Amino acid sequence: MRILLDKFSKSFGAVKVIEDMTLEIKDGEMLALLGPSGCGKSTTLFAICGIHKVTGGRIYFGDRDMTDLPSQERNVGVVFQSYALYPHMNVAENIAFPLRIRNLPGAEIKRLVDEMADLVHIGNLLDRRPAELSGGQQQRVALARALVRRPNVLLLDEPLANLDAKLRLEMRSEIRRIQLETGITAILVTHDQVEAMSMCDRIAIMNAGQIIQIATPKEMYRNPRTTFVAGFLGNPPIAFVEAEARDGMLAVKNADIRLPVPPDAVTPPDGTPVIIGIRPENLGPEGDAIIRGRVSFIETQGRENLYDIKLENGSVLRSIQRVRDDISLDDEVEWRVRSDRLFVFAENGERL
Amino acid sequence: MSASRDIVESGPARIGTRAAPARPRFAWLNSSKGLGLVLIMPALLLVIAFFLAPVILTGVFAFTNMSTATGITGGAYQISPGALRVLTDRYGMGELAERLGQPTYVVDEQGLAALAEMEIDQDIIDGLKRRLGETFSSRRDFERVIRDLPTRPNTRTVKRISDAFSRSLANARFASAGALMSAAEAIDPELTDDEKAALREATYTGWSWTTDNFRRLITSPQTMRILFNTIFFVAATLLIFNTGFAMLLAIATHYIPDRPAGIFRIIWFLPRISPAVIYVLLWKWLAWDTGFLSAFLDNFGIRPRNWMLDSAFNAWVFVILINGFVGASMGMLIFASAIKAIPQSLFHAASVDGAYRWQQIRHIILPHLKWPILFVTCYQTLSLLTSIEQTLLSTDGGPGGATEIWSLAIYHTALNNYAGNLQYGYGAAMALVLVVIGIVLSLLYLRLFNYRALIIKPRIEH
Repeated sequence: MRILLDKFSKSFGAVKVIEDMTLEIKDGEMLALLGPSGCGKSTTLFAICGIHKVTGGRIYFGDRDMTDLPSQERNVGVVFQSYALYPHMNVAENIAFPLRIRNLPGAEIKRLVDEMADLVHIGNLLDRRPAELSGGQQQRVALARALVRRPNVLLLDEPLANLDAKLRLEMRSEIRRIQLETGITAILVTHDQVEAMSMCDRIAIMNAGQIIQIATPKEMYRNPRTTFVAGFLGNPPIAFVEAEARDGMLAVKNADIRLPVPPDAVTPPDGTPVIIGIRPENLGPEGDAIIRGRVSFIETQGRENLYDIKLENGSVLRSIQRVRDDISLDDEVEWRVRSDRLFVFAENGERL
Repeated sequence: MSASRDIVESGPARIGTRAAPARPRFAWLNSSKGLGLVLIMPALLLVIAFFLAPVILTGVFAFTNMSTATGITGGAYQISPGALRVLTDRYGMGELAERLGQPTYVVDEQGLAALAEMEIDQDIIDGLKRRLGETFSSRRDFERVIRDLPTRPNTRTVKRISDAFSRSLANARFASAGALMSAAEAIDPELTDDEKAALREATYTGWSWTTDNFRRLITSPQTMRILFNTIFFVAATLLIFNTGFAMLLAIATHYIPDRPAGIFRIIWFLPRISPAVIYVLLWKWLAWDTGFLSAFLDNFGIRPRNWMLDSAFNAWVFVILINGFVGASMGMLIFASAIKAIPQSLFHAASVDGAYRWQQIRHIILPHLKWPILFVTCYQTLSLLTSIEQTLLSTDGGPGGATEIWSLAIYHTALNNYAGNLQYGYGAAMALVLVVIGIVLSLLYLRLFNYRALIIKPRIEH
C-alpha cells in the first residue's frame, strides 16, 4: 500500500523535530529512513504507526487519511528495536496476539500463526518464551508478529541494532527476503548506511528533521546531493579537500594539485571556493588526474588495504586498493584519480 | 585493615597455619566469619529479646491458667464456695464438699479451753472432757449430748457451748497443701487419696499447668465467631483495598501524566504515614452523632446517630475502610513501580497490535503484576492478621462484639477484660494459635516465592 506523508510536522513541546516533511513510499517498496541519531527518523516512524500524534500535516495509507486514527486502527506492523515481545507469552501466543485482539476464530489464528512461523523459520520454537530465545530468534518472532495481521505497512525500527555482527548479516538478507516474499510496503529506520543500501529499494536520508535526498542506493552513492549525503554513504568514507576554481580547473588549496571539473558539474567562476569529494576506491594507480602525497597510515583489511595519504597542505585522502607490497609507510606516492568520479560541492555543501 | 595486610604479606602458604603462636588471641576476629558474628550480635540480641523471648513466653503462658485471680506467682489453698462447687461439679465429690462446707462439732482441747475462758461451770467441762475426740456432724446431735450432761445447762448456755466447738473449713485459707490436709483430716479422718488430690486441686488459688485453654478454645462458640470475623476482615480488606483498590490506583496513575500521578499517590500515602490515633480520630469525628456525616445528613432529615457503631454492618464498613486505606498505599506503591518497570515499548507494541487500553491492562499489565499481587496478598494477609490498632481505636470490636477480630480478642482476653479478670493464659493460647498460623503461612509463602521458580532458565541457541 502506498504511504504518503504530506507536509508532516512534529514537535515535542517547544522543540520542533520534523517540519513540513513530505515523503511518499510506493506500494511494495522497502524504503530506508537513514540518518544520524536525533535526526527525527524514529519520530517519523512513530508518527506513521500512530504512537505519536502529529503536530501538523496529513498521513495517508493509500487514499485513506490516517492522521487522526489511533494506532489500534491503522493496521501497521512494527518491529521495535528491543523487539518488545510479550515476556509472559510463548512464541505462538506472541505471534497470535494481534489476531486474538481482533477476535479471530482459534483455528484461523492457528493456521495463520503456523504459516507465519514457517515464513520466518521459527516453526520449532513456538512453545518457547522470549527469554529462552537468542537475539536472532526474537527478531524473527517480532517480524512474524508484525506480519501476521497482513499490515498496510511494515515498520522496522533499528531492527538489527541489538544483534551481533554475524547475526546482523544473516538477518539483513532474511528481512529483505521476507519483505520481497510478502510484497509488503516497508519502512526501515536505521543509522547504518550498509543496512540501508543492502536492504532497501530507496533511501531517504535525513538530517536535523529534513529529508536531504531520496534515491535508490546506487544513485545516492553515485550522485550524492550534498556533502552530508556523500559523507554518510560509503565505507571507508569519502574524503574531502578544499579547493578553488582557477582557469576552468580546480586547484587544491595550498598544494600543487589541479583537478579537472567533472563532466556532469557546472564549471564555477574563477576564485569560487569549492569542496572536492574523492571516494577511496577512485584514488589509486588509474585515472586521469594526478595527486601527490605521502602515505601516512596503512590499514590492513585482508583482501584490500586502506591507505591514508597526506597532501602538502595537510589534508588527508583515502585510497582503497588490493594489497600491494611496494608501498610502505612514509613513501611519497603519485596516484591518480578519475575525474568523472569526483564530486564537487559548493562551500555550503550543495553539489555543483 | 592490618589484618588483611597481614594475609597479603604472609601469602597463601601461611593461611593454613592460622593458629600459629604469631596469631594473637583475637585471631578469629580477622576471619570474615568471626567479624560477621560480632557485627550481627546486636541485631541478634534484639531479635532474641524482643521477638524470640516473647514468642517463647507466649508459648509457656498458653499452657497455664494464669489470670488476675491466680496471679502470676504462687497461690494458697482456700476452701471457697467456688472451690467446693468445683469439687462437686468436676470431681463428683458432692458429699465431701458438703461435709467440708457444713460446720462440724468436734470436742477438742481448744474448745474446752474456750469454755474455761467463758467461765462455764467446771462440771460441764469435765463432762465434755470425757467425750474428747468425738465428732458430731449436726448441731442438734451435739446439743442433745450437752443437754444430757448431769448439770443440765440452760438453752442459752448450750448454744454458747456448741458454738465454741463448731469447727468449719468454709472459707478457711491455708498457706500449704499440708496444712489443708491436716485440717481436712481433723474433720474427716477417712479421706481417700483421690479425695485429697481433688481437694488440693480444687482449692488451689494460684496458677497451674493445663491444656484447658486449647480445649476451651476449640469448644467455645465464641471462637468460631471471632475466627469467622477475622477471616471476613482479612479477606474483605485484602480483596477490596490492599490489592483491588491498590491496583486501581496504580493503573489509574499509570495512565495520567507524571506530576498529577505523583501528587495523587502521595495523597493515598497519607493514611499510612499519619499517626494511627489521629487518623482514626478523624474517622470517628466523621462518624460521630455530632460529626460530619450526621451534621450533613441532618439537612436531609436523617436522624443523627453514631454511624460507626450504629449497626454491625456499618461497623464493618468503617473497619474495612479504615484498615483498607492504610493498606492500599503499599500495594499501590508496589504495583505502580511494577507497572513502571514494564518497558514502554510493550505498550507501544500492544497499541499497534490493536489492543486498546483495557486490553492492555488485561494482556500486558495484569500478567506483569502476577508476582507483585501474590507478594502483596501474602504480606498483607500476615499484617492484617496481626493488625489491631485501627480496629481497637475505632470500634473496639463493637457493637456487641460484631467486629471482634482475633488479635483484638487476644487483647481483650488477656489485657483489657471488661469483667476485670484478665485471662493471661487463655489470651496467650489464642496468641499462640495466631503465631502458629503466621509461621505456617510464612513458610507456605516462602515456598511459593521460591526463587528458582521465579527465574526462567534460559535455553539459548544461536
